[in-house]
Amino acid sequence: MSPLLAALAPEAVLLVTALAVLGLGVSIPRARNAATSLALVGGILSAATLRFCPGGGVFLGGMISLTPLAGILQLVVLGLALVAIVFAADSFPDAHFAEALALILFAALGMMLLCATDDLLMIFLALELTSLPLYVLAAFEKSRQAPAEAALKYFLVGSVSAAFLLYGISLIFGVTGTTNLHALSSFPGPGDPLLLAGMVMVLCGFAFKVAAVPFQLWAPDVYEGAPTAAAALIASGSKVAAVFILAKFLFGGLGPWAGSMGAPGWAPVLAVAAAASMVLGNLAALVQSNVKRLLAYSAIANGGYLLLGLASGEPASLPAVLFYVIIYALTTAGAFGVVILVEKSRGGSRLEDFDGLSKSSPGLAICLLVFLMSLAGIPPLAGFFGKFYLFATALENPGLIWLVALAVALNAISLYYYLIVLKHALVLPAPDGGHFAAPAPTPTPTRALVAALALLVLAAGLFPNLLLTPLTRSLRPATAAESAPACLP
Amino acid sequence: MILNATFLAAFLGAALVLALPERWARGVALAAALAGLGFAASAFSGYDNAPGAPHFQFVTQAPWVPALGISFHTGADGISLALLVLTGIIAVAGVLFSWNVAHRPRAFFAFYLVIIGGVYGVFQSFDLFLLFVFYEIVIIPKYFLISAWGSTNREYGAMKLTMYSAAGSALVLLAILATSAASGAHTFDLLALADPSRASFAPAFQAWVFPVMFVGFAVLAGLWPLHTWAPTGHVAAPTAVSMLLAGVVMKLGSYGALRVAMTLFPIGLAQWKFPIAVLAAAGILLGALVALAQRDLKFTVGYSSIAHMGFVLLGLMTLNLSGLGGAVLQMFSHGIIGGLLFAVVGRMIYDRTHTRDIAELGAMGLARTLPFAAATFTVASVASMGLPGFSGFIAEFTILKGAWMAFPPLLIPAGLGVVVTVAFTLIALQRTFFPAGEAPAPPPLPPITPPEKLGALLLMAATLAVGLFPSVLLDPILRSFESPLMRTLIQGGPR
Amino acid sequence: MTSYLLLTLFLVIAIIFPLVPLAMAWAWARIFSPAKPGHDKQSSYECGIESTGPARVQFQSHYYLYALVFLVFDVETIFLLPFAAAFLDLPASAFLALMVFLLLLLEGLVWAWAKGILAWK
Repeated sequence: MSPLLAALAPEAVLLVTALAVLGLGVSIPRARNAATSLALVGGILSAATLRFCPGGGVFLGGMISLTPLAGILQLVVLGLALVAIVFAADSFPDAHFAEALALILFAALGMMLLCATDDLLMIFLALELTSLPLYVLAAFEKSRQAPAEAALKYFLVGSVSAAFLLYGISLIFGVTGTTNLHALSSFPGPGDPLLLAGMVMVLCGFAFKVAAVPFQLWAPDVYEGAPTAAAALIASGSKVAAVFILAKFLFGGLGPWAGSMGAPGWAPVLAVAAAASMVLGNLAALVQSNVKRLLAYSAIANGGYLLLGLASGEPASLPAVLFYVIIYALTTAGAFGVVILVEKSRGGSRLEDFDGLSKSSPGLAICLLVFLMSLAGIPPLAGFFGKFYLFATALENPGLIWLVALAVALNAISLYYYLIVLKHALVLPAPDGGHFAAPAPTPTPTRALVAALALLVLAAGLFPNLLLTPLTRSLRPATAAESAPACLP
Repeated sequence: MILNATFLAAFLGAALVLALPERWARGVALAAALAGLGFAASAFSGYDNAPGAPHFQFVTQAPWVPALGISFHTGADGISLALLVLTGIIAVAGVLFSWNVAHRPRAFFAFYLVIIGGVYGVFQSFDLFLLFVFYEIVIIPKYFLISAWGSTNREYGAMKLTMYSAAGSALVLLAILATSAASGAHTFDLLALADPSRASFAPAFQAWVFPVMFVGFAVLAGLWPLHTWAPTGHVAAPTAVSMLLAGVVMKLGSYGALRVAMTLFPIGLAQWKFPIAVLAAAGILLGALVALAQRDLKFTVGYSSIAHMGFVLLGLMTLNLSGLGGAVLQMFSHGIIGGLLFAVVGRMIYDRTHTRDIAELGAMGLARTLPFAAATFTVASVASMGLPGFSGFIAEFTILKGAWMAFPPLLIPAGLGVVVTVAFTLIALQRTFFPAGEAPAPPPLPPITPPEKLGALLLMAATLAVGLFPSVLLDPILRSFESPLMRTLIQGGPR
Repeated sequence: MTSYLLLTLFLVIAIIFPLVPLAMAWAWARIFSPAKPGHDKQSSYECGIESTGPARVQFQSHYYLYALVFLVFDVETIFLLPFAAAFLDLPASAFLALMVFLLLLLEGLVWAWAKGILAWK
């Protein structure tokens, strides 16, 4: 067996699972449980393969580059996809159900490939593989108008940004003669204006995925209109993969091109984008009345915090950024899980639909408290430590003090809108005869998963080393003795 | 470890309260509060006050996140222990005064115990990150307690209080991050950062970090003019929460200012002490004047809290042993007295009469229907006015003595503030309980229940004990200013 | 720089080249054959028969599905062409890789067939 295939065993398992689920969808009439089970088994098998026999190494001139750090990120992305599958199993309609699961698995495959590559063209390919299923997933409830409009916006903005990305990559290739990130990093600086233009265009393409200003227009509509399980995957999985590849691109490929407040480079661009994202995301969230839309603006704001972490230009900020994005993804996935359960009981996700949650489902209300307070950065939850670590490493670059001050101030403001949601959930009573009063058929797997995510967020806040140590250890330069065992000879 | 047991008992109590059936809620809460008080009191009595003994005792230190230099470092000196005991007393009294909470008692006591745990944690932390974690834990339960169980204007009051606290915390967070980045030592340990043998921070850095950090903490302490959250929030809050807020949570701000801001940045402190002292004196006088104009009894008590906290901040800025010691003692004293005042107004009076308007209350003949409440409020008023025999007198006297040594001109507004405090306290007392003229047949009111009596007696005993035997508290407090950490404060100012 | 000059010249000629016949046609129509519209001249041609109904028929958007599926297999064909050209020189693993590719797309076709996309509605 070629070493490439052995190294890509987890991805291969995932691909086979996706195709099998697709086949199941056309062969069995009502395939809901069978498809879910198959998808989960395949995903868990892929994760096990990844965890216990991760093939390492660099293949095809850097197109596939499996490092321990990539392994951790792939595991996280796979886990988030499995979470999305469980959520989808409890909330997606019966029509084309197996196809939905297959799309989730394809998107997960794309995200895994995105984490494991060092080549610009492969980045583009994996990005498209991630995005296209997500476009389709966003449009799944095409009978209503809002999802259709949201998916169309997502698709159009995404396609334009992919075009920019590709054009930027071609410009970079045209000037430097290579698409490999490591080879790129040996170029001294973006002196050539063509190179600067290419760099900016590539940044545009990535910024769309991270939902940073000014490429954030799709996020509120898509988060609100897409089926909630799909929104959960978009918010969590694709964000993790996008941030990782952006960090890899900037620090790995364009390290010497960072620039600073005086010199041209990508750091000032990111700083401005970060400031704009934080301001827009936090201020717009203050006036929202739909919780999913609120979570979208919070995603934009968090994208701003992540860009702030990257804008320092210091490679030391990489573990902080990755820690924060992983924690953010887990928290958002959990929050969307709660929204799914509320939508099933109340039929909507406006603020008023959350009234009386603490009386009918106290556990769910506590989980929502954990998730939203983690997003607001309240200790002892993981979101607080993530933000603290992020701001602390950003301050290693003293020029960013204004940006960090802005971030801290806006973080305090963000507490307002999270508390408004919690006020509805914990304080306000349910309207008379609200469906919450009667025991609604609440799906158990989603509940269990939401509770597990809440516990994870709390544990990561109390003992951050659980996640931090693997990240920092994998970032140290690999010793020659570490050759990971592959599953297939 | 005994110190950590205080907040562990509180958090464990909160979890148990949520898990066990409703009728166990207040019992478990009382047990947790008593356990915390027991641990704090035994630590206080076990504190070795001999001249050669180490300043920081009961120290626990363990690495938490070595990558950032964060460790779990707790300990106590005289200042911490006095405030820990205060927290224990207020916690127990608060539970006793909340014995009648009928609406969702489990959630109420769970949030309550989380606040208590957080407060215990702040007073014993010596790592900046750890201190900030506990400081922030306190913020969120306040919002829910006020907006769900509060009274007048509760949603607005809760949000205003929480957002002010969050804004103050944001300033503190920024200062902590900047401090750690500028120190170059890659640590968050307070003792390491404030070590006199280390090179101190650059004067230009201190000139802006000190006011940011101090104001961030002092917002929670009711620094004028950033104090407007306090009357609104205290009035909106249910009784036990008002007691907590005025009694303990406001002290978090002044403690943080003293322990962190003032010790780390002596140069900045020297530059800013006079403006802050002016603001503190303004708070004393203006708080008292506004209290004089109130018609709502709880608003009167709320503004009196601002005035009393003004004394704390003034004492802190004097930078001499008298003022600093008095400030810490005033933190303890006002904690007890403020708690007692809010307890009477909220639990004893408002829960029964459903009004807080002084004129209306005067017409109810409360001295005859609620004699215990009248007696308690008289004792509390007298203590609040600073009568000798109660803790308030010692505290305010030493603060004024320290202020005379440091800022003689400021003694005018402070002294005036004392006079106005006497005025509004007497007026409120007289008009509420002992109005002139004979009241018509007073409506019968439910009698004062045993838990309320227990709570009131506990608080009155505390303020009386410290008033009669102040050295019990003052000796450890004054000795803690001899530690290398706190000594730098006094070196800068007049003796 | 001369290469760019040549390129510019090329561009200019490329723009002029189609415009000249168009200009000549317009000039001819203007000068030699003025417009004389009539009923039989304006009606649409339908193999000599009288046309019935309006000329505008609603476009069946269902066509797009066929276009989509066609596109996928057209691109597959393009990939097959160089493979076929170099088939004799390629190792067995290349054959395996391309079979995987073909089978993937075949599964897609089977899926589309089973979902009823290929049936005209």
